[in-house]
Amino acid sequence: MSTTSKWLGSVDGDARKRTLLGIGSFLLPLLVWCLVSYVPFVWHPKVHVIDPGGVDYFQVDMLVDKTMFADEVANMEREHLAVPTGKSANPIYLPAPDQVARAFYNGFVNPPQSKDVPSMPASLWHSIQIIFWGFLISSIVGVPLGILSGTYTLMGRLSEPFIEFFRYLPAPAFGALAVAILGIYDGPKIAIIVIGTLFQQVLIIANTTRKLEVTLIEAARTLGTRNIKLLSKVVVPGILPDLYRDQRILLGWAWTYLIVAELIGTSSGITWFITQQARYQHFDNVYAAIMTIGIIGFGTDLILARLGRRLFPWDRTQDRR
Amino acid sequence: MNVKHISSTLKTLFTRLVIPAVAAMSISAHAAQPLKIGYSDWPGWVAWQVAIDKGWFKEAGVAVDFEWFDYSASMDAFSAGKIDAVTMTNGDALVTGAAGGKSVMIMLTDYSNGNDMIVAKPGIKSLKDLKGKKVAVEEGLVEHLLLLNGLKKAGMKESDVTLVNAKTNEMPQVLATGDVSAIGAWQPIAGQAMKSLPGSRPVYTSADEPGLIYDVLAVNPASAKQRKAEWLKVVKVWDRVVHYINDPKTQPDAVKIMAARVGVTPQVYLPLLKGTKLLSLADGKKIYVKGPGFTSLYGSSKVADDFNVANGVYKAHQDIDSYLDSSFTNAK
Repeated sequence: MSTTSKWLGSVDGDARKRTLLGIGSFLLPLLVWCLVSYVPFVWHPKVHVIDPGGVDYFQVDMLVDKTMFADEVANMEREHLAVPTGKSANPIYLPAPDQVARAFYNGFVNPPQSKDVPSMPASLWHSIQIIFWGFLISSIVGVPLGILSGTYTLMGRLSEPFIEFFRYLPAPAFGALAVAILGIYDGPKIAIIVIGTLFQQVLIIANTTRKLEVTLIEAARTLGTRNIKLLSKVVVPGILPDLYRDQRILLGWAWTYLIVAELIGTSSGITWFITQQARYQHFDNVYAAIMTIGIIGFGTDLILARLGRRLFPWDRTQDRR
Repeated sequence: MNVKHISSTLKTLFTRLVIPAVAAMSISAHAAQPLKIGYSDWPGWVAWQVAIDKGWFKEAGVAVDFEWFDYSASMDAFSAGKIDAVTMTNGDALVTGAAGGKSVMIMLTDYSNGNDMIVAKPGIKSLKDLKGKKVAVEEGLVEHLLLLNGLKKAGMKESDVTLVNAKTNEMPQVLATGDVSAIGAWQPIAGQAMKSLPGSRPVYTSADEPGLIYDVLAVNPASAKQRKAEWLKVVKVWDRVVHYINDPKTQPDAVKIMAARVGVTPQVYLPLLKGTKLLSLADGKKIYVKGPGFTSLYGSSKVADDFNVANGVYKAHQDIDSYLDSSFTNAK
């Protein structure tokens, strides 16, 4: 064994080290974010005006370019007028970690002012429901179709060319059609998630099914196993751990379609929250919402991974994330 | 999709498939459904929120369901026939209609009074200074129309400037890069553009040509005809909304409701409201008369129609009279 694999192997084995590295993988980006946000000389291309001084177009709380600010300071000094003061700042598009943390806290603690506006938890719950139904419907069709296509060559050859073609069609482009057929509420949104997930799902699962050892199927056939029995007793049990892992990855895939799906029809869910806040440049709220999606997605995946280890103790690949 | 939706879908399926014989029943059930109106984030339309929160529709004896949309999604939903009415500009009513989503503008909500603007970078003081320079607008949208109108007034032609097509949402960044000399955008985007490039200022706004862009409540023609009595009540409620917002005594409360709907503080919202001239029924009556020019909804729609055809938004001129029906606004 080479030194590299020994190294990787030893790290893999040590559970404590692994946890530490896992935490580290989150701390590093956070550290970079903190550096960029709190250490003035790292980036800070703007100046946050505290006192406009004699500059007629400056206002309190305005963000101006550093060079422009320096020019105006020089101008004011030359004209013997009050010199503007300010502190270095990042563009409005990059709020600091503490601002985002505060927005995060506010979103969950303070209900919105208007009763017609759903709170952040309610928006989130709505989004989770969309994902749940979208993924469920996609799986009801996609999993059996994928397994059949992978098991029977005829089935695969009949379905896969079209599916290969269709998966390149952009799901959001079907938005207006989905609204025309399914109405303005959750129907079209779920449809977009399904369109975005289903076609990949069939192909991925068909591929997984094909990876099942041919000898297993041949042996079963020799012994007289046919049709339903072949599927239920040999194919499905054989691919189940891999199928489970595919589904985990596909669930993540479904989440990436959420934002475009929720732009269709009535404004709802976490997308409503994000777009509305972005329109008024409340980027702290925007990032808080984006991160909530990350936390939920990542959290579900962790739970599913743990569950996978329980369900398939014989499958060692479930151990790896 | 929650349980309520599923059960209501099942219910409609049931009534449609199982008991089609009892046609009379299903018609009466249909009439009992609330009027479905799509609205979006523009001060003149967020104003409806005041009536919703205060329960004025109930008081007026009309059942309405206001659904919040992104602007373009609201027009899609209207075209698809999923909602009875939508709030949009008179020009967009023509665009939506040309694509098959015909409507009747039963009333005016407001006109843009400064909220739409051409913002130029520092050093440029008027439209004339833009000669030979690049201007970014989203082609075919209202800011494009605004720019052409301004150029014409300044004695210039469209070819005197170089148009750069860009998304309205991205205008603040476009202006900040310095690649263009001016941008066209509406509030709050225009305000952000000025904030991100200090010293930049509006050189032409919709306040310079009131009536260039009217905002209306556009109703599905079938619904407008069959349920006219109910729509008349909606129009009456609007009058109450305008008076509540314009009355200095009640304005703070109104602004609070509107700001809460879009998720900002009342202080941030007030300037946006100021750039919008809300039209009471009496104001609307003066504008809802036939005539040329921007003081008439007919004249303004004619300009929009010409602009849309000239820019290839749609091919054939629209029959403007078929979109307009002053009887709702003029009803006693």
